[in-house]
Amino acid sequence: MTGLSPTDLAAMLPIAILVAGALVLLMSEVFLTSGRRGFMAGITVAAAALAGLAALLAPPAGRVFGGQAVVDGFSVFVTVTVCGGLALSALVGAQWLHARDAERGEFYALALFAAAGMSLLGSAADLLMTFIAIEVMSLATYALAAYMRRGRKPAEAAFKYFVLGAFSSALLLYGTALVYGVTGSTLFSDFARGSGALLVIGLGLVGAGLAFKIAAVPFHLWTPDVYEGAPTPVTAFMAAGVKTAGFAVLVRVLMAVWGGAVMGSARFGAVAAALAVLTMLFGNLLAVPQRSVKRMLAYSSIAHAGYLLVGVVSAGAAGARESALSSVLFYLAAYTATVIGAFAVVGAVERTDVRAEPADAWDLSRLAGLARRRPGLAFVMAVFMLSLAGIPPTAGFVGKFLIFKAAINAQAYGLAIIGVLTSALGAYYYLRVVVYMYMRAPEAGEEGALALGPALSVALAASAVAVVVLGIGPGPIADLARAASMLTQ
Amino acid sequence: MAQANLLSIVVFLPLIGAIAAAFFPAAEPKQHKALALVVTLATFGASLGLWFGFDASPGAPEFQAVVHVPWIPALGVSYHVGLDGVALLLVMLTTALTPIVVLSAWNAVQERVKEFMIAILVLETAMIGSFAALDLILFYVFWEGVLIPMYLLIGIWGSENRLYATVKFFIYTFVASVLMLVAIIYVGAKAGGTFDYVQVRQALEVSASAQRWLFLAFAVAFAVKVPMFPLHTWLPDAHTEAPTAGSVILAGVLLKMGTFGFFRYALPLFPEAALHYRPAVAALAVIGIVYGALMCLVQKDMKRLVAYSSVSHMGFVMLGLMALTAEGLTGGVYQMLNHGVSTGALFLMVGMLYERRHTRLIAEYGGVARQVPWIATAFVIVTLSSIGLPGTNGFVGEFLILSGTWLARLASAPWFSAVGATGVILGAVYMLLLVERVFFGALSNEKNRTLLDLSLREWVVITPLVALIAVMGFFPQPFLDPARPAVDRLLGRFAAVEHRLEERDPGRPPTTGTQPPALAGRE
Repeated sequence: MTGLSPTDLAAMLPIAILVAGALVLLMSEVFLTSGRRGFMAGITVAAAALAGLAALLAPPAGRVFGGQAVVDGFSVFVTVTVCGGLALSALVGAQWLHARDAERGEFYALALFAAAGMSLLGSAADLLMTFIAIEVMSLATYALAAYMRRGRKPAEAAFKYFVLGAFSSALLLYGTALVYGVTGSTLFSDFARGSGALLVIGLGLVGAGLAFKIAAVPFHLWTPDVYEGAPTPVTAFMAAGVKTAGFAVLVRVLMAVWGGAVMGSARFGAVAAALAVLTMLFGNLLAVPQRSVKRMLAYSSIAHAGYLLVGVVSAGAAGARESALSSVLFYLAAYTATVIGAFAVVGAVERTDVRAEPADAWDLSRLAGLARRRPGLAFVMAVFMLSLAGIPPTAGFVGKFLIFKAAINAQAYGLAIIGVLTSALGAYYYLRVVVYMYMRAPEAGEEGALALGPALSVALAASAVAVVVLGIGPGPIADLARAASMLTQ
Repeated sequence: MAQANLLSIVVFLPLIGAIAAAFFPAAEPKQHKALALVVTLATFGASLGLWFGFDASPGAPEFQAVVHVPWIPALGVSYHVGLDGVALLLVMLTTALTPIVVLSAWNAVQERVKEFMIAILVLETAMIGSFAALDLILFYVFWEGVLIPMYLLIGIWGSENRLYATVKFFIYTFVASVLMLVAIIYVGAKAGGTFDYVQVRQALEVSASAQRWLFLAFAVAFAVKVPMFPLHTWLPDAHTEAPTAGSVILAGVLLKMGTFGFFRYALPLFPEAALHYRPAVAALAVIGIVYGALMCLVQKDMKRLVAYSSVSHMGFVMLGLMALTAEGLTGGVYQMLNHGVSTGALFLMVGMLYERRHTRLIAEYGGVARQVPWIATAFVIVTLSSIGLPGTNGFVGEFLILSGTWLARLASAPWFSAVGATGVILGAVYMLLLVERVFFGALSNEKNRTLLDLSLREWVVITPLVALIAVMGFFPQPFLDPARPAVDRLLGRFAAVEHRLEERDPGRPPTTGTQPPALAGRE
């Protein structure tokens, strides 16, 4: 591992583009004299698009940085998904921040840094690389969560996210140390070198750290408060990006564990299956009583982590590996488009003056009668809700179909049945949003029209189109996901 | 090939109409009504081409007007549509009822007409699609696609308790359907990674116990839709709260999706499990017949009464299907059509009375035949059809079902038939009581003295259905013929299964097909 070869640098091009975009935005804030910042979202979108293109067009380099990172179809898929999520979130953020007079270059720069960390996580093949990438991602998202820290809830959210995030990083680092102590290496591919209880404990700690990031029950406790308290565009970005990145690295770690026949690897599968069941069950059950749409979506994101875990667990069966991994990738792409769209609508209807009534800024009643006030907005929200509920013909249905198909291929019939039953439970609270939008009259004083700026309209249209196209013609993306499911260890 | 494209046109024409409607201004309700009527009539016209192009001879291919193109090839999912005779009849029922429904909602729906018409059109595509689909996933997509517009129809345009009813409707059907999705995925995996119905039917090889679980998963989804006792409790609420148009479509077409599901999927895909569970399903069907009829006797609300009568009538259809005799199956199929026509007409007329008086309580009426003789006449004719008077379509269906059940090689089949027959008697009792209490006797309620009789639009709505009742009663053959090849194929399939079971277990008495009708042979 002496020096960096040109291949290594070329492989990191997407990440370099993201970081360069962030630096440009930071510098622009230094030299900017006027208050006009409309271009910043544009730069962010451009950087995201360029990074995504660079990832797509670059030839897969395989192992780089002495094996600490891998650039393969899987990492490219993750990078493109993250970049898509970044671009959509930036567009959502532009209007949201503008309406609150808080549009600054730092916001977009932090988002770009976070996306760089997420992309890196998709490539990580080494525990230290994982740790560095997670920290790059997390430090940026902690700051983003605290971006609008005035008010009790935002401050609590930011602080909670930071403390629990640091705790999970510590678990990860401690686990890494134990693994290194046993195997003498931090590469995923060297897990098989070691054996014994210490390795199992180390890997368990690594897994717990990652479970925090993907918000699996019982490591989910931070999620509702943080998702609710963080600025809505940030929540959208966290729900999509952090989840995608977290699952990417979880998949690589678990594949290494299963592929390398680590002692007790079967038990890791059983534990992951138990986590999947708990996550699906509690995520959905706890979402049912929520009145705040934002909080409901937070619990729903936990539930979706459960479905994704079903896919990951199914990858444990050798015969179902390809279908399981491609289903996870497809689900992540579908979820990214859907959840950012849903949070965008939440951000559009939320009260601008949060301090006045913090409790019900996102109450369901904000959506009452939306179908009359803004038929288009209500329609796309209905599409997102149907997709989250997994009802055809939306991306969410195809995602669930692929996940459960993988589970059945892996003969995990119980997981599939619990999955569909809990998703029927999910339909109840997603449809409640539709009930409020279409079947209730607007609250007094809420009849006024909502202003939708061009950036937000573009973001909403793009995610709605993506959700429907992925639902009706999932073929191309499903093929890409299938091609990307061959991991280079 | 022209036929094939025609089927796709029939499936998607309403959807195209719905998309077009989205571009018309919401402030112009007349445009939306006219557009919906034109589109649904055009769909009906196009479906007539399917009807006349259908070859019902025994040598004709099983599925006609077939289109088979890959949809998601990587997953073994294809856009495969085609019609056998039963599907054809149900598609015709759908395309014929929908313009009538649009017309019936002309004045009843005043608010959000644009959304209403879009919902009806999307619903029509989903309904036709689920009868035409020959791919399990495609079928599931259409099957679920029915839920959303129906959910909106009840939830937005329904009466007081609509939110409760619509959520109950949705959750009931959705929970049952997702289990079917798991079963479908399992079936696809066991059939070599394809979801194509024809291939799956040939290639599916699963153990006996797996087959039973699969049958149950499918059967529960369909039984909720039918609805079969004891999974029927969503139906009275949904019907009572739904707007007239919603009730007509719900009773006329949606319930048939359940019985059609048994005929097309649950029985032919899992024949051995179907034979295993047949006595239980038949028993539930008979319980449903009697229970639905008894519930009708105590209803105070006309719509609720008609809703419970659906439970009873659909029980007949299920009984006919479970008989697994030519008569029973044919009668079941025929009764699906009858129920669509006559119960649809009943809901339409209850809706007409409701538009005039804004109440559905039987006690609010009485003696109104004096005021509205034409409504009364039409109602009586439809009632006679509903109770199966000879000369009406209902008689043909019920007679075939009961005689087919009597002759069935099913344990205690005559009992099923006999108890089922009491449903016919009870049906006459509750329907005639309803007619008597609403239309005859003294005109006691002052508010009824100003009722208006059928308007021209209502004449146009109700005449085709009344005519259909008479035509299907006197000349059933053109409607029975298309179903025949499909019924024979299903029986042939079961005969083959019997043969296989007998090889495995010699001396096993046959359980399908017809008994010799002589009572002496029965001892």
